[in-house]
Amino acid sequence: MKKIRVLVAKPGLDGHDRGALVIAQALRDYGMEVIYTGLRQTPEQIVAAAIQEDVDCIGLSCLSGAHNELFPAVVERLKEKGADDIIVVGGGVIPADDIPFLESKGIKKIFTPGTPTLETAKFIERAVYERDGYVPSEPFQMKQVAHIGIAVRSIEESLTFYKKILGLSLVHTETVESQNVKVAFLDGGNLYLELLEPLNEKSAVFKFIEKRGEGLHHVALGVTDIEARIRRLKEEGIQMIDESARPGAEGAQVAFLHPKSAHGVLYELCEKEG
Amino acid sequence: MTSTSTFQKEYEAWLEKTKQLLEKYPERKAVFQTSSGIEIERLYHPEEPSSDYLEKLGFPGEFPYTRGIRPTMYRARYWTMRQYAGFGSAEETNQRFRFLLEQGQTGLSVAFDLPTQIGYDSDDPMARGEVGKVGVAIDSLEDMETLFDGIPLDQVSTSMTINAPAAILLAMYIAVAEKQGVPKNVLSGTIQNDILKEYIARGTYIFPPKPSMRLITDIFAYCSKEVPKWNTISISGYHIREAGSTAAQELAFTLANGIAYVEAALDAGLAIDQFAPRLAFFFNAHNQFFEEIAKFRAARRLWAHIMKNRFGAKNPKSWQLRFHTQTGGSTLTAQQPDNNVVRVTIQALAAILGGTQSLHTNSKDEALALPTEESARLALRTQQIIAYESGVSDTVDPLGGSYYVEALTDQIEEKAKEYLKKIDDMGGAVQAVEQGYMQEEIHRAAYETQKAIEKNEDIVVGVNAFRIDHEREPELHRVDPAIGARQAEKLKQLRARRDNDRVQKTLEDLKRAAATDENLMPPILECVKAYATIGEICGVLRNVFGEYTGI
Repeated sequence: MKKIRVLVAKPGLDGHDRGALVIAQALRDYGMEVIYTGLRQTPEQIVAAAIQEDVDCIGLSCLSGAHNELFPAVVERLKEKGADDIIVVGGGVIPADDIPFLESKGIKKIFTPGTPTLETAKFIERAVYERDGYVPSEPFQMKQVAHIGIAVRSIEESLTFYKKILGLSLVHTETVESQNVKVAFLDGGNLYLELLEPLNEKSAVFKFIEKRGEGLHHVALGVTDIEARIRRLKEEGIQMIDESARPGAEGAQVAFLHPKSAHGVLYELCEKEG
Repeated sequence: MTSTSTFQKEYEAWLEKTKQLLEKYPERKAVFQTSSGIEIERLYHPEEPSSDYLEKLGFPGEFPYTRGIRPTMYRARYWTMRQYAGFGSAEETNQRFRFLLEQGQTGLSVAFDLPTQIGYDSDDPMARGEVGKVGVAIDSLEDMETLFDGIPLDQVSTSMTINAPAAILLAMYIAVAEKQGVPKNVLSGTIQNDILKEYIARGTYIFPPKPSMRLITDIFAYCSKEVPKWNTISISGYHIREAGSTAAQELAFTLANGIAYVEAALDAGLAIDQFAPRLAFFFNAHNQFFEEIAKFRAARRLWAHIMKNRFGAKNPKSWQLRFHTQTGGSTLTAQQPDNNVVRVTIQALAAILGGTQSLHTNSKDEALALPTEESARLALRTQQIIAYESGVSDTVDPLGGSYYVEALTDQIEEKAKEYLKKIDDMGGAVQAVEQGYMQEEIHRAAYETQKAIEKNEDIVVGVNAFRIDHEREPELHRVDPAIGARQAEKLKQLRARRDNDRVQKTLEDLKRAAATDENLMPPILECVKAYATIGEICGVLRNVFGEYTGI
């Protein structure tokens, strides 16, 4: 999806551009490309600039009370030029009574004083996506880092270090046959450390240690609805090691993302009951 | 320690001077006292003043004027209550003016619509939608005659918020006065005439900086001879603050602009004490109560030093920073508009404790529309309650000597000095404006403010805290949208009726004069009297001077 382009414009003779400048900056910070027209633009000039700059949206700001004349004039000129796919929104000192009129004239939304800029940015984004039939995914929501996996040759040997030297307590050990590993969970306070010991040469952890030696192996992210997460990640083009969830330690459902798709880190999605 | 004898000597001199003044201008009451019968003194001061007391504070009415520009301040006369008003046609605004005067307002303040402020006639395509919206539409002397109909111009002082075409509106005012039989040398009032802050913050510029500065110094020169009681400029921090600056930036950028005007006038050959006593200032009053008070006090001290030491002014009137204050429009919220009455009260009180000469209190509905008659009255009542009921004006500079206020005053002054130094190093305010320096600083501060509100670091009651759902919509003032067409019709009739040869001739004279360095006030006055329109007069000047298009 290309960046959304917005023209922030001051129609009429009003010189108050604090709001326009703040909105322009806020939309930029949100990730949009923003062009500001400067003061005293006629509706014709605004429409010409919008077409030339190929924008998705025009944001009009007016504090002088001329909005009922000038905002609809911009929409009309857009129609004349066949450019009425450009979304028009507005803001300023605009009495509530005028808003239905302006909306009936094709202004998509009026933002009144006190509207958080983030709300404006999100509205524009949604309106542009809707217009383009683009269905954005919800951002990937992880609950927390559940544990950090550490590959060791022998749990028994390394536990001396973790328990005696670092003073961490052992919570649970388990053998996960399907993965060919034995695991031990240590209480790290805000998360667990998971020591992974290969059971045999078929184990992925064995290959890892052969290649790189002992050390950090993966980061597990706690999620809900793991199958939906996997589908969503695949839609976003993320390469999965596990195309669907499989049983992990402690009865969890787990799936790994390929480090190639995750900036070099092996991530595990991990969903636990309750 | 100031040697007690020096302080005593100065104090006694001040007492003597004040005594003489009182004979001419007595105070409001012979004796001021509290409800408990405690007599309120004119001035409170330390028993044992510190060594820098005289240098930093001194006495009210004495250099450096930190404690006020008059020895008796509001004990003699309250500040001028001057509500900015204007909308629609000259007839409607004339009615509002008469209403305000009947309600006890003591000065007029005219708001012009944007086409007037930018030099377009009401029937110009650029004026579409804007006629009569933010102020009254004035196209020609005819409208100005209607605006002041029945208001004797020798008895009111009138402030006009007009900048790029200030010379034209002043000329119209003079012409109306003449028709009323009032000579121009008794007229009192103010034109804003501050073009630099238009480039920085307000946006109603027409011409590029250089010819704009020339128009301003032409007005200085003309008025010093012909309209000696007129305040020829109101150097404005108000709009700089509204655009988002901090208090220290408001002070610094305003004084930097002031310095630029003084330098331009000196370059034009005027003597400092010839025009400096007519310079006036215009500041904002926002919510941070003590900082605002400190700002006003620091402003007086800084300006006094600049005028005396930097420019060598000899006349004490040149050292005195006189200012108008308006409460902060951008602090008003559209949500729960009644809350704005409280904000305005706090801000007005800060302006008064800071020693303002005149005050406009905003109406509660200004974040939504122009004020209704009812809300405009409430705004005026707010000042009247402070004046007549609170007792804050019974002693001079009641906060002087507060550790906090004095420390803030010093620190605001220091911060402003740093900015002034930076602007001096850039070559002065005109250069700083052309490079966009002030604009950038203000924009940054405005964005920081917005982010702090959105992160709930700054609380705005009713906006990001203490909200209510389903607010009742207040009654709002409406400007008749047909005003544009009516003004256009009036113009058509005027153009048919007036002596068009005379109009042409006066416009040509103006064009010729504009190309030389002749003072433009007399030819503008001739154009105005011939009923040339604002658009025609500014059109001539646009042709000669060019137009400013922003940076």
